[in-house]
Amino acid sequence: MGVNNQSFIELNGRERAQAILDQGTFFELLGPFDGIESPHLPKQNIVPQSDDGVIIAGGLIAGEPAVVISIEGGFQGGGIGEVSGAKIAGALELALNNHKKGIPVRPVFLFDTGGVRLQEANYGLLSISEIGSAVVALREHTPVVGVISGNVGCFGGMSITASLFSYLIMTKEARFGLNGPEVIEQEAGVEEFDARDRSLIWKTIGGIQRYETGFADALAQDDVTAIQRAVQETFQKKEKVTSKTEQVDFYRHLLSKVDPSEKLASDQFQELYKATKNEPIPSTVSYSLNEVPGNMPNSRGRVWINALINDEEADFEIPSVLYKDALLGREKVRYISVVPNPYNRFLRARKGEVGLDEGWAIAKHVREVIKEDRNQSPRPIIAIVDVPSQAYGYHEELLGIHYACGAAADAYAAARLAGHPVITLIVGKAISGAFLAHGYQSNRIVALKDEGVNVHAMSKQSAARITKRSIKELEEASKKVPSMAYDIESFASLGALYELVSGIQAEQPTDRDVQTIQDILTGAVEDVRREGVYDLSSRLYSEQARKEGRKASLVVRGELERQWNI
Amino acid sequence: METLVFKYKADRKLTQRAHVGVVGSGDLEILMVPSDEEHAHVSVRTGSEGFSETWKAVLDRFFSVHTIQAKIVINDFGATPGVVALRLAQALEVSENGSE
Repeated sequence: MGVNNQSFIELNGRERAQAILDQGTFFELLGPFDGIESPHLPKQNIVPQSDDGVIIAGGLIAGEPAVVISIEGGFQGGGIGEVSGAKIAGALELALNNHKKGIPVRPVFLFDTGGVRLQEANYGLLSISEIGSAVVALREHTPVVGVISGNVGCFGGMSITASLFSYLIMTKEARFGLNGPEVIEQEAGVEEFDARDRSLIWKTIGGIQRYETGFADALAQDDVTAIQRAVQETFQKKEKVTSKTEQVDFYRHLLSKVDPSEKLASDQFQELYKATKNEPIPSTVSYSLNEVPGNMPNSRGRVWINALINDEEADFEIPSVLYKDALLGREKVRYISVVPNPYNRFLRARKGEVGLDEGWAIAKHVREVIKEDRNQSPRPIIAIVDVPSQAYGYHEELLGIHYACGAAADAYAAARLAGHPVITLIVGKAISGAFLAHGYQSNRIVALKDEGVNVHAMSKQSAARITKRSIKELEEASKKVPSMAYDIESFASLGALYELVSGIQAEQPTDRDVQTIQDILTGAVEDVRREGVYDLSSRLYSEQARKEGRKASLVVRGELERQWNI
Repeated sequence: METLVFKYKADRKLTQRAHVGVVGSGDLEILMVPSDEEHAHVSVRTGSEGFSETWKAVLDRFFSVHTIQAKIVINDFGATPGVVALRLAQALEVSENGSE
């Protein structure tokens, strides 16, 4: 770096927002003196920050009105909790409102985040699904621009958010991936990924690699002027961009050329990407292992899709993502379920995880519904959820599992925004990035009240490692903060469920159980159509959410709207 | 987490509020708001328990020199006494001179 350069990375979150905006135009909304901090951290003996680690700034970018959302990576690793998440989602929702009213505003997001704040867990995931929904809607009106500069980089659920963006600018110092190196090592072993091998980390998920393989659109120097210029340039482009998560056919084609039985080096992937980028995309993608080689294990996801389609044969292109159009009441609906495939070509996605192929396959099966129904009544889509996690592995990070998960989330959000009632039925586990991809973008969430039904952000082992607490301490904390708990009743207390259904045999439903669930799903579809609202607000305004579960989320949104003057 | 409260006599008005620092490793956040009352009111939340004497010493020293009328909120994440003193001086500078 030359003597005249000023490092962007060394600035704190607020200074970064100031640096992006035209000089002297910065003003802050819901700033530190408004005193809206996390209500959940002090209960766990953790000192909160007066802005909860997120800066919402208004001002001008190249003379045009803009909103800059900047995450302070120095506070709790830039983790997203209820207040910080609501500030981000609220700002994007207000920016969307602006555009709907014909008042343009340029949205810029300065990422520096490890993802969900594990001390608030499910609040982080809920917020991230709402942020993603707002990005997908906003992208129709304006480029949504992100900067990933480091030090922290962009990880976890927020990497799925970033994958949805129109443009991403990275520095070579930044890292961008779904699962942090420590978490992969914890979940999959040191042979899969050595979290101490810094060279391996940057070669796999660093800015240069991401740029060379198209997962970032621009590479900027760690310099205030360079980053400011890169942001301004993205808004000068005239043609509307197609986000990478919308390019389902291309990425399925690209992935079909990978043989995961051999370790793909980062430079080999660069070559593969560049060779594939300008090729015509074949209309069908064939995988080497897309036939079912043996008996498939039973799982809740498989049992429930079979039951709901009246024991017909489910369709699939890859054996781990089942789908079928079937009657629900008198109406044809599409069911989608992710199931274990012990022969999966990706080793780390053999137990029902949402992996690379799974994310893109879900996206395909959702998007074909949108396309087919373009000139007719939008078909309801039912996501049957029993997903133990996203896949943790080296290939997953290298090949962009955050984009695969983002593609699925994007497709569900796009379907919902196009008027398809999207209903989630949680029959088993609904964990973290897997749930963000498959299920969290729905209009209504129905869950079975059963011990095997869990919603949370990370396994206890990994969460303990990352937050430097013992599992016992985590369990103690979750008694005070229900969003940290793993059981479905705690999740229900947040107000995001349309219905929590008791008395169902989740492992082996009876005919009567299936009928009960079908009736509830029919009711949920009717409820969506009656309300006629296709964003995620029903979760925020449910009685339980208003009374207790999302109180802070609502206060933040209300106050932000009151202060909004962009 | 521990909350400590301190109060000092004061006779000097501040021109504007100030916010400095981050609640991050080895650092702290200070909010300084001008007040009409004739004392400085300091409230400290710190993740490192058992350092109330050290806090008292650092704050006594600062407020014996700077008798400012202000409400001060400190959110601490393990800052050393040296960092605390620097951040207080920085907050005061912003409060008196205006540029954040």
